[in-house]
Amino acid sequence: MKEIVRYGFVLTLICAISAGLLAGANMITKPKIALQKANEEKAALEEVMPQAEKFEAVKISEDSQYYKAFDKSGIFLGAAFKASAKGYSSVIEVLAGMLKNGTITVIKVVSQSETPGLGSRIAEAKFTSQFSGKDSALSGVQAISGATISSRAVINAVKQKAQEIKILIENEK
Amino acid sequence: MKKLFQEFIKGIIRENPTFVLVLGLCPTLAVSVSVANGLGMGIAATFVLLGSSVIISLVKKFIPDQIRIPCYIVVIATFVTIAELCMKAYSPVLDRALGIYVPLIVVNCIVLGRAEAFACKNSVAASFFDGLGMGVGFTLALMFISLIREFIGAGKIFGHTLINAFEPVAVFGMPSGALLVIGLLLGFFNYLKRRKA
Repeated sequence: MKEIVRYGFVLTLICAISAGLLAGANMITKPKIALQKANEEKAALEEVMPQAEKFEAVKISEDSQYYKAFDKSGIFLGAAFKASAKGYSSVIEVLAGMLKNGTITVIKVVSQSETPGLGSRIAEAKFTSQFSGKDSALSGVQAISGATISSRAVINAVKQKAQEIKILIENEK
Repeated sequence: MKKLFQEFIKGIIRENPTFVLVLGLCPTLAVSVSVANGLGMGIAATFVLLGSSVIISLVKKFIPDQIRIPCYIVVIATFVTIAELCMKAYSPVLDRALGIYVPLIVVNCIVLGRAEAFACKNSVAASFFDGLGMGVGFTLALMFISLIREFIGAGKIFGHTLINAFEPVAVFGMPSGALLVIGLLLGFFNYLKRRKA
């Protein structure tokens, strides 16, 4: 009986000390982590809408949103949005920018874990640069040979979302 | 001093955690796709090894033998979480590349293995050098494996494409390729050792 109490005491003490340490570490790193996240998002948005200066998040529904993009003087340029689709072995997430006339500016694959060397090439510029300057129908985008499913997932995801966003921003000024 | 240096140096060659003790292969297989990943993982593991070895050897008299494993795990998990938070705050790119394998250092058998086999029986200074040596040995082994895999599997070295002459062998970028590389290296090192003896 006495032993059990001693074991309990030792373990509790160790847990309490490490909990204290972790709380401290969390307090120090939390603002930095939040800042990193915000910076990363801003950098990604700027990458897909290079002309834009300011972004404003707009909620479409509970769990989907897009960003309105404005230039320096506050003129509405277009939108940036996230599209996702099931690829060959993972969910592929793409960030895309669109001008207000419906032309895609740049797309960027944000996250994917497709087969390395085959499907993963959807993240390379050779594939993604095909999207730039196309309208939301995306005709003429070539799939990567050997990675048809992954390529199609990206094309369809962007196409579907682009058409949806195009209707939303058509009447914006 | 000489003895402490011995503790440090043994982790690098004579008792290398990957090639001689063959511990902690799971993260080794998964993260050794590029040298940068290997280095990041190695540094995180070294930090955890150092911290947990020192703390465990400091409190070894205080911890009852019967509950030592849960105590060690709590100490190790604390260091791993601190390492993970720091990585998220200062190097989010590396954090994303290593993913789940950073929290999994908690169950990395090198860390628990050194706590059990060394830190709980030796002085703080000896444990410090043992942890450092093991960490450096692990880091070097990871970097060596990832150098080979990055070159054959992606045609790159340190993220730069050197030659465009050949199509990368995709299987070396996957865990199965890592097993092949590790197996061949293990065989090679054993061959060297036997020839010396």
